Formats: sequence, structure tokens, C-alpha cells
Amino acid sequence: MNPAAKAPIVSITNVTKDYNLGKVVVPALRGVDLQVHPGEFISIAGPSGSGKTTLLNLIGCVDTATTGVVSVAGQDTKQLSERQLTNLRLHTIGFIFQSFNLVSVLTVFQNVEFPLLLQRKLDKAQRRERVMQLLEQVGLAGHAKHRPNELSGGQRQRVAVARALVTRPQLVLADEPTANLDSVTGQHIIDLMKELNQKEGTTFIFSTHDAKVMNHANAVWRLADGKILDRLSASEAQRAMAVGGH
Amino acid sequence: MLQLLLIAFRNLGTHRRRTLLLGGAIAGVTALLVVLMGLSTGMKDTMLRSATTLATGHVNVGGFYKVTAGQSAPVVTGYPKVIEQVRKDVPELDYIVQRGRGWVKVVSEVGSSQVGLGGIDVEAEPGIRKVLQIKEGSLDGLKERDTVLLFEKQAKRLEVKVGDTVTLSAPTLRGTNNTVDVRVAAIAANVGLMSDFNIFVPNSTLRSLYQLKDDTTGAIYLYLKDVAQVPAVQARLRQTLAAAGHELMDNDPRAFWMKFEVVNREGWTGQKLDITNWEDEISFINWTLTALNGLTGVLIFVLLVIICVGIMNTLWIAIRERTREIGTLRAIGMQRTRVLAMFVFEALTLGFLGTLAGAVIGLAVCLGINAADISVPEVVAVFIMSEKLNLAVNAGSVVGAMLFITACTTAISLIPSFLAARMKPVTAMHHIG
Ligand SMILES: Nc1ncnc2c1ncn2[C@@H]1O[C@H](COP(=O)(O)OP(=O)(O)OP(=O)(O)O)[C@@H](O)[C@H]1O
Ligand SMILES: [Mg+2]
Repeated sequence: MNPAAKAPIVSITNVTKDYNLGKVVVPALRGVDLQVHPGEFISIAGPSGSGKTTLLNLIGCVDTATTGVVSVAGQDTKQLSERQLTNLRLHTIGFIFQSFNLVSVLTVFQNVEFPLLLQRKLDKAQRRERVMQLLEQVGLAGHAKHRPNELSGGQRQRVAVARALVTRPQLVLADEPTANLDSVTGQHIIDLMKELNQKEGTTFIFSTHDAKVMNHANAVWRLADGKILDRLSASEAQRAMAVGGH
Repeated sequence: MLQLLLIAFRNLGTHRRRTLLLGGAIAGVTALLVVLMGLSTGMKDTMLRSATTLATGHVNVGGFYKVTAGQSAPVVTGYPKVIEQVRKDVPELDYIVQRGRGWVKVVSEVGSSQVGLGGIDVEAEPGIRKVLQIKEGSLDGLKERDTVLLFEKQAKRLEVKVGDTVTLSAPTLRGTNNTVDVRVAAIAANVGLMSDFNIFVPNSTLRSLYQLKDDTTGAIYLYLKDVAQVPAVQARLRQTLAAAGHELMDNDPRAFWMKFEVVNREGWTGQKLDITNWEDEISFINWTLTALNGLTGVLIFVLLVIICVGIMNTLWIAIRERTREIGTLRAIGMQRTRVLAMFVFEALTLGFLGTLAGAVIGLAVCLGINAADISVPEVVAVFIMSEKLNLAVNAGSVVGAMLFITACTTAISLIPSFLAARMKPVTAMHHIG
């Protein structure tokens, strides 16, 4: 597959992001350029505080860049109305947040079902089937009726994964999706993502520290101090990490 | 959409303490409001019922007869004809009575007092039985000639019991005093102001005291089925009575006994009719109603302000958690308007259930108070013309109160949600506050 043949699904041009903390301005991104093409499985790596979450938030349309252009699915997000952005989030993007952000008053099943309800595309039986299938895949079918606060961190993580994937979005953003999982479950989740990527051509962008996870990526963008260092292949990245580690 | 309701209900259920606190506060205010309104309308009702039975009809045809320009008597001559005409002209009529009116001195062995005298035909007075609570003797005693009904207060002052005799002394137009001895046939429980200034005798006694002809009375009281018809009936009577050849006085919205001065200054002689309504005749105590309404209004306002501040406090403490949830819902792809709709629904549910509970409690309290037969302090009794507390609940105003409080609390509780929905999703999601 030649990625350049298709228009990029995510295109970031010269983006900066500053956080205003009263008088202090924290520059979280300082001029990032990056393109992701449909069907890619991309990892963003970098030390804590390098701006991974910030970058994903911009791509996920839950935050806005200070300067520069963020285009998602061919649309410049600055030009979109709040309503259009919300629709983009609902129909095109699936987001697995670093802090899960499940709705505490809904059960596991209801949390996963929620985006489908908002979409209004499937009837009740179809929704049920889709949700249960995903819960099965993340190993939580037995917990469908539980509330998030009755689950462990890893289990909540998996609910968040299921919720992000349930609408079969074109683009899935995952902020440290395996950080709270043991290596077996983590591997399982990655396999699930990989499978979706290969079967449905879903584009994945995930941030991670985990070298094993990077292994599966088409490419690893290394981020440091709010800037892209380089774009490496999985094996290159592993080598670089190993060097960096010694 | 169902999920919206579900989240709203779950929110209420999950934050049980907050829900109970807020719902309880809303219920409390509603209950208080209902009781206060019940008190206010109840007092008003009691007052109007007593006053409109004892001192005035809903519409009255009274008038003055002047022998000479400077001497007037508050009478209607040839009243049977007037009654006949009124019956014909006023289909809204419930019943009609005629009362003699006068101003006499009651004298017993130990004391005396000046009072208004009402002449009644007990058999023709269905209303008076409902209003007067007879403590001693019986109303039917007034069927006999030369009897009198006193109120407890007067009986005590004059130191008389049923069966005793008192003397009524009335100044006549000719400047002499006519007297008649009457036997106390009944003593009624006090009805506030009225009981200080009024006694009742059979019409025949009043006529002989003032040496009035049989077809002369003080005034004709019309009681209507619906008080709302008063202005229409009043206007109609002005026309039809004038058309029938009666002389009418200009409309003067005051009690008849306040008009002597004006009437005596005018040059005419003979009979003129005066058409008034109940508000005119008891205008001198109407200010108490105004004061009562004002007081209730202020009290309700203060209560509402307190409850709103309380709700704001409680809700805004929960804003952190709430804001995160809103951020998440927005990030997943829920439109701002739907997020708001959800919280509106939640607030409405809470408001509605709260006010409903409050209304039920308030009604129960009202019924309880009525059943408990509570006596009011004398000062209050004077104004409401009853010794018993009576709360009247008006369904319309209860519903109005519920809607009003629900609207207020919903508006207040939506402010934090509204602010949260305006934030960027990520800001709301990570809100710490
Ligand atoms: N809401 C915020 N307000 C102010 N500064 C912020 C905010 N969020 C992030 N930052 C700052 O921006 C920089 C990038 O943060 P970001 O969360 O994107 O890093 P990260 O790579 O995701 O880190 P981690 O691996 O710990 O999740 C950091 O210096 C951080 O302190
Ligand atoms: Mg992060």
C-alpha cells in the first residue's frame, strides 16, 4: 500500500499550542508538522510532558490549536462550527482518553452503547449485538451490568477502548491505551486494534511509552519538548529506544 | 432520547443525598407556600363569608328616605315591589333577603352599649345559619316577636343569659327615643369585628321600634351563585330599577352608615335607592386583606430567595463532577443542546417531584389545621371575623406555586450546567474545581 496515494486523514501543519496558566504561558507544542494516511497504525512516543496528550486532543477536536492548521478527514477544524465538530467527533473519531472518562452513572453496557445512541443509526437489537461483541473482545462480557466504579483501572481502560471502537470510526485516537493493563491484556487489546486496522482499514494513532506496543506500528513519531524529533519505522524506533535506554 | 432521561434519573439516584437535600428544600418551600396561601385565602374567605352574611349581600339595594332635606332614614319603602322586580331581573340570584337596619343602645341592668341593629326574618335566611355558631339558645328563637340575638362579647359585657331581657332604645326622626324590651333568644360565638357592633332582632321588632310600615325595610341583600357576577348584576339593576321609575343615588362605594352626612346635605326629599356591593359595605375592613396579601407576598419572596441561594450552593459544589461528565459527553459527540436538554430534564424532574411532594405536605397540613379546630388570638379574630383558623386551598394557586417554584429552581440549577456546556470538551473533562 502506498500511503501517499490517498489524501491524509490527519494533517497537521505548523501547529503550536500554549497553555495559559494565569501569567505563565506553557508552550506544549512548538510547531508540529505531521501527516497520517488512512489505514496507518501510528505510534506517538515521547517522554512524559512532551505533548502527546496535547497533540491527540487537537486531532480529536476536543481542544483547539493556538496557531497552525489541524485538518481531520479533509476538513480544517478551525473552519467548523461547534455543531460540526461535535458531529466529527461522533461519526469519524473514536477517542480513548488517558483518564478513561466513563460516565459514572451508566453501566458498562450503557457506556459503550452511548455513542451508538447518539448516532441513531442502529436499532436496539443491532446495538445490543454490537456492544456485546465488543465487550466479549475486550473480555468484559461478564461485567456488562457493572458500574465503572466497581471495576479495576484495567477494566475501565477496556471499557473505554470498547466505547471508542463501537461506532467503527475511521480514526481511533488512543492515549496510552495499555498503560493500565497487564502485558497479556495489553497485548490482547493491541491485537484487537491491529485486527481492526487490517480488516476494516481503521486508522490508529496512539501514544505510548511501551516498546512492545510500538512494535506493531507502521511508524513511530518521536516527540520531545513539544516538537517532532523524527519519524521512525518500528524496528528503528526499537533500536533508538534501546540505545536511549543505555 | 431515552438515554437522556436515563442519565438524568441515574444522576438523581446516584447523588441521593444531594437529590434529597434539594428535593426536600424545594418540597419544604412549596409546602410553606401552600400553607401560607391557604392561610391567606382561608382568612379572606372566612372574613368575606362572615361579612357578606352578617353585614351585606353580594349586591345590595338599600337607600334613604328623607322627610325633609336634612333628615334621612336608611330605609327602602315599598320593598316587596322592589324584590319582585329584582327577582325578575337577576337570574343569577341564589337567594334574597331583606334586613332592617338601625343604630340602637342596648341596656341591661348592669350596662349598655351602642350597636348596629339588624332586623332579620330567620326563616328566610339560609346563609346566617352557616355563619353563626350558636353557643346558647337557638336561632329559631328569633321567630318569636321581641327577641334578640347577641354575641358572646356583648352578653358578657351586659351580663345577660338566654331568657334575660334587655331594652333597646333608638332615637327617631322626631328626636324622641323609642324603646322596646326584648328577650335574649340566642347567644352566638363571636365573629370578630362584627360581634362588637351588631345584634339581630326579628324584622317585626325593628319595625315597631322605628314605627316603620310593613312594606319598609333597611335594605335588600342579593346573594348570587357566583360572586364574579357582581359587577354585571349591579350595572343591570341600576338600569332596570331606574327604568321602573325608582330614583337612584349616584354610585358611592362606601358603607351605608358613612353616607348620612352626604345624604343630609343634599336637597332632595322622598325615597332614593342606593345600589352597592359587598366590597363597598365592608370597605372599612378591606385594608386588612391588602395588608394580609402584602405580608404573604413578602414572606414568600424571602423564602424563595433563601431557597434559591441554598440550591445554588448545593449544586455548585457538585459542579466539578458535573463538569467532567459534561466534558466527556461532549467529547464523545453529544451536541451542546442535547447536553443541556438532559440537565433541564433532570432539574425539571427534581423540581416537579419536589414541588409535588411539597404540595401534598402543604395540603395535609392545611387539612390537619382545619381538623384541629385551632382558635386564633383575639386580635386576629377581630379581623378575620372568626375565632377558628380556617385554611382554604385553591387548586389553581397551588399549581401556580408549583410551576413557579419549579421554574425558579430549574433556572438556578441550570447555570452551572450551562457554563460547563460552553467550555471546550477537554477543559470540562479535566475541570478541577
Ligand atoms: N491543561 C493544562 N494546563 C497547563 N499546562 C498543561 C495542561 N495540559 C498539559 N500541560 C502542559 O503541557 C505539556 C505537555 O503535556 P501533555 O499532557 O501533552 O504531555 P504528555 O506527553 O501527554 O505527558 P504524559 O506522558 O505524562 O501523559 C506539559 O508540560 C504539561 O505540563
Ligand atoms: Mg498524556
